[in-house]
Amino acid sequence: MSLKTLKKIEDAVKERPGELSEARIKGAKVVGWFNYNIPEEIIYALGLIPIRLGTGGNDKLVEVGSRYISTKNCVFTREVVGLFAKNNDPYIKNSDVVAVDATCIQIYRVAELIQYYFKVNTVILGVPRNFSSPEGKSYFESELQRFVNDLEDFSGKKLEETKLSQAIKLYDEIRFAIRTLYEYQAADNPPIKWREVFNIVHAGFYLDRKKYLSLLKELLTEIEENHGYPVISEKGNARILLSGSIIPPGDTKLIDIIEQLGGRIVGDDLWSGLNSFLNVDIKEPTVKGIADAYIDRVPHAALPYLDLETDRRLKNLKQLIHDFKAQGVIYHTLRYCDAFSFKAIETKNVLKREKIPLLEIHTEYAGSDIEAIRTRVEAFIEMLKLGKVQELIA
Amino acid sequence: MANNDHAFAGVDIGSLAAKSIVVSNGSIVGQSLIRTSINTEESGLIALHKAIDSAKLSQKDLEFIVATGYGRVSAPYANKTITEITCHGRGAYYLHPNTRTIIDMGGQDCKAIRLDKDGTVIDFVMNDKCAAGTGRFLEVMANVFKVKLEDLGPLALSAKEIVPMSSTCTVFAESETISLLARGEKPENIIKGLHYAISNRVAGMLSRIGIENDVFFSGGVAKNVGMKAALEEVLEAKIVAPNFDPQLVGALGAAILAQDYSLKEA
Repeated sequence: MSLKTLKKIEDAVKERPGELSEARIKGAKVVGWFNYNIPEEIIYALGLIPIRLGTGGNDKLVEVGSRYISTKNCVFTREVVGLFAKNNDPYIKNSDVVAVDATCIQIYRVAELIQYYFKVNTVILGVPRNFSSPEGKSYFESELQRFVNDLEDFSGKKLEETKLSQAIKLYDEIRFAIRTLYEYQAADNPPIKWREVFNIVHAGFYLDRKKYLSLLKELLTEIEENHGYPVISEKGNARILLSGSIIPPGDTKLIDIIEQLGGRIVGDDLWSGLNSFLNVDIKEPTVKGIADAYIDRVPHAALPYLDLETDRRLKNLKQLIHDFKAQGVIYHTLRYCDAFSFKAIETKNVLKREKIPLLEIHTEYAGSDIEAIRTRVEAFIEMLKLGKVQELIA
Repeated sequence: MANNDHAFAGVDIGSLAAKSIVVSNGSIVGQSLIRTSINTEESGLIALHKAIDSAKLSQKDLEFIVATGYGRVSAPYANKTITEITCHGRGAYYLHPNTRTIIDMGGQDCKAIRLDKDGTVIDFVMNDKCAAGTGRFLEVMANVFKVKLEDLGPLALSAKEIVPMSSTCTVFAESETISLLARGEKPENIIKGLHYAISNRVAGMLSRIGIENDVFFSGGVAKNVGMKAALEEVLEAKIVAPNFDPQLVGALGAAILAQDYSLKEA
């Protein structure tokens, strides 16, 4: 039995492009954004509409993008440039300005290119490479202040503390709701699937944030009332945590394969998934408060491992494996996504010490490697399950 | 065979060859190996029937069939499909229980598998994006030297010197070989160089999962004595050679797993 609110969310997403066009006719301005460290709270508090941009899984767009960006850039960035070249994506078409933080420098490169080739108005937020030093923190704060000034000029409004305070409260509630949904999907007989929650996260890239929160609350109420209707029976499933490079809306290749082969995804630490909703503790409704909170989140893989033993990403990954009771990790790397590809072996070795196996799947948006991925994922699932089979035989 | 005996079959449909093994009461009673045709499903069935015939059985005597290899998806006659990784692990462990690392070099892919002391797969790595380290690579090279595939290994062993090769890409290695021949290098020295280039590549793959003795070499390429010698030198490890056709290890593992699953479901 499918949850009714899921359909409502799906319908709301379908209506969203039309809503945005209308809002813009009435004078509203849309800030489309890329990367990981753009604080939506600020955009929202300035009365602007935040939309998180970018899709994946379309090899034709990658081809189009490759006419402008190097073929040695990752497939996601190539597809994104393709989106701007084609200009058919409703959210890109409706963006009045594109905000990009310099976390992943490949996406920063996208900002340069879309400004140069497609005359897109862009706003850049600098991000320090060393995110734990005092110098890194003060740099990020000054960059964020400059970013606020740029958006104030763009919107013609000043950032007010009360508005910021309200925005922070709204986003805190959204983050809490998403974390709660992740807990539900990981349960033994879950009332909702991981994939449904992941799609809800993506719906939140687009929907009006107040409406989004009310839909999330409605969904949580429905789940509580519906308890006792598990969507997955817990019969010998291999519990898998998904990690690695971005999996944006539209890229379903790996997820489809895992599910077809009887793997159960029970969580993720993707920056297009759960990670953005973790560890955001904004202590004061000021630019400094936001800057300090964002820099203290789980860092993005584009930033270096400064210390393997204390790294917050690895700590977070281990914590999620524990919380979601995952038996193994599938670490997804996109072709030429250096940030995640380079870290695959270290991550694997760190997890090996905890006796958690990790399978790296290196892929792109073309379909030519589907069978090759299938064999690897299938063997990995067999590996996770075989212990159980041997116990049964013995 | 007595009526109360139980028989199980494994079918391994690879890119170049289809193999089948029939086991009964824990021992191998039938086997086959044929070249894969354009019709994958038919190749698997022919291999299965040949193995059944060699065991003097009929298909209805089989209690459980497991299909593996890249053609496993086109095996409607199988009760279950299992990947070649798990099957090679099981087959190698059955033949040699001290196996901890497996190098499997097949027609179009190459994989390295690690087992624990119970024979369970604990890690693996696979190369199927390019032909380096595969039977196909060696077939192309045999053609360049105008020698039979099975002569490549002995030729490599007969070399007095080694000509280093920089390419493991089939296409580039072919053109590099032609240039080396034109320069007057001895064919056997170049052939030895090719075997070392491939072994170094396999060593790189193995470094990702670690190597632990005993090392077991399976797949069609394991019949090549030159490759085995080159791998032993590069990996600084002794490769065990059980008295069994290495090309049939996947099919054997599938047959043993057929028996395991049949017992589990009973």
